[in-house]
Amino acid sequence: MTRAIGWAAPPLRALALILAISMIAFFCIRAVPGDVVDVLAAQGDLTAAQQAEMRQAMGLNASPIVQFLTWGGRALHGEFGNSLRFGKPVGELFLNALPATLHLGLLAFAIGLGLALTLALGALAAPRSPLPLLVQAVNIWSIAVPTFCIGIAGILIFSIWLGWLPAIGHLGLPAAILGIDIAGQLVKPLHDELRQAQAAPHVRTARAKGLHPLRIGLFHLLPTAMPVLLALSSVVLAGVLGGTLTLEVLFGLPGVGSLALNAMHGRDWPLLQATIVFLAAGVVLINAAAELLHRLLDPRPRR
Amino acid sequence: MSATLLPADRVVRGRRLPEMLAGIVVVLTVLLALVGPMLVPQDPLAQDLLALNEAPDAAHWLGTDHLGRDVLARLASGARLTLLVGAGGAALAFLLGAGVGLLALAFGGPARVLVFAAFDLLRALPGILLAMLLVAALSPGPLSVMLALGLTYAPMVAEVARATHARESAADYIAAARSFGLSRLAVLGRHLLPNLTGVLLTFAAIILPRCIVTESVLSFLGLGGTPELPSWGRMIADAGGFAEEAPHAVLAPVLALSVFTLALSILGERLRAASDPLRDGAP
Repeated sequence: MTRAIGWAAPPLRALALILAISMIAFFCIRAVPGDVVDVLAAQGDLTAAQQAEMRQAMGLNASPIVQFLTWGGRALHGEFGNSLRFGKPVGELFLNALPATLHLGLLAFAIGLGLALTLALGALAAPRSPLPLLVQAVNIWSIAVPTFCIGIAGILIFSIWLGWLPAIGHLGLPAAILGIDIAGQLVKPLHDELRQAQAAPHVRTARAKGLHPLRIGLFHLLPTAMPVLLALSSVVLAGVLGGTLTLEVLFGLPGVGSLALNAMHGRDWPLLQATIVFLAAGVVLINAAAELLHRLLDPRPRR
Repeated sequence: MSATLLPADRVVRGRRLPEMLAGIVVVLTVLLALVGPMLVPQDPLAQDLLALNEAPDAAHWLGTDHLGRDVLARLASGARLTLLVGAGGAALAFLLGAGVGLLALAFGGPARVLVFAAFDLLRALPGILLAMLLVAALSPGPLSVMLALGLTYAPMVAEVARATHARESAADYIAAARSFGLSRLAVLGRHLLPNLTGVLLTFAAIILPRCIVTESVLSFLGLGGTPELPSWGRMIADAGGFAEEAPHAVLAPVLALSVFTLALSILGERLRAASDPLRDGAP
């Protein structure tokens, strides 16, 4: 019984969070002074009577709760409204922008994970080399140095001074910058966990058998550290999201971040609201999946 | 643990140098924010269209930007805003996370459930999205950004508050205080708080550089400082489009921001390591 509750809890929690986030997004956007009709009225001439009529027709006179329920009901059918500036359904705009964001995010994540694993295992295998110091350095670097600063410096060096890369529209530099950032968040907890795992009896046995340190690291230590990586996923995911959105804007990639920011500056509220709800829902669902996977990989009862 | 194998003086010297440099950087930046705007004669907003993108010289020590504004003057007034908003956000996060969190823990029951459910919700919403929502609902500006920083980092502080509170509450002296019939608030204020402040203040030092970085990201995206109030993030965004003509106007705020937050992080990490009894290299 309790096990069933344990398995059902993350999805239910995710649903509750998505609902709550949708409500927050809805009411924050409704709190913006001026509504759609004001925007349209500013663009074309509308008399006060026409404006009142439009408000009635769009349901803007109803109470906020009723408006939210109406929006939620439509959202469940996949209708999130139309963009004010582009006139297209916001879902379509979001899906058009998503591949660019996913490319950058996934590439950066792969680089970050690879770098973190290499560094952590390397530092473990050679504790007297400069590698453990590098683990610390990458960790502090990722906390302290904003990705967009490195991005600007990178553009200045590689695109303007050396002329090796186009200034905008390419993926390599932003992915590398974000990858190092992700590696910095992962590598220290991973290294700590691996060092603790070294004391386990099965690792001593493996060492006594004379196995190569790399083999011990990969096949005996790393599996015990996997749950840590999953536990970190929510922090890393938020970092990837923030970093991707910023770097997209900096490197002129047509992704979700550019979409949301343009919606924000262009006062395209339906688009902004939907983009935020979609992104937040994605983060919440991935975190719930990571929690379930964590439970599967690490059956020990939670502390 | 391996550090104990090295000669003692090498350990000390090797460990103190980065922290000394970091301390100097932090002091210089705070001075720049406090007295810089008074010492630099130029107006950070005054445009000089006859002196656009000028390289550093005697009149403009760090050159001018694409509108002919003095970069050093902007750097100094930007330091003021960046530090103020970043520190304000960290303070707000601390007040919400530790203040409200500890009160909820002391009273328990529905208050505790409700407050920590709210923190859970805030944690689920990535900070950058939260900031966009808040800025849309309020208006772009330093106050919205400060609020966004406070709400983004409060759950992290609350989590630390909850963990240390749970650890301390299990101690015998708390059971003794309770058995005397002290009220929950008195136990919290007189007995728990003195033992929690160290850990919580250390954590505040850890989130301060993160708040400053996040503030700059938000300003860079145009959600924070306004043209009248330059913050470093805003300066970088403004000058970024003219990086080819005036690299100095971009590099000055980029370097100032990176070096300052790096220095703050090194000091925060040192503080954490010093207060952590299980730190590496402990004798």
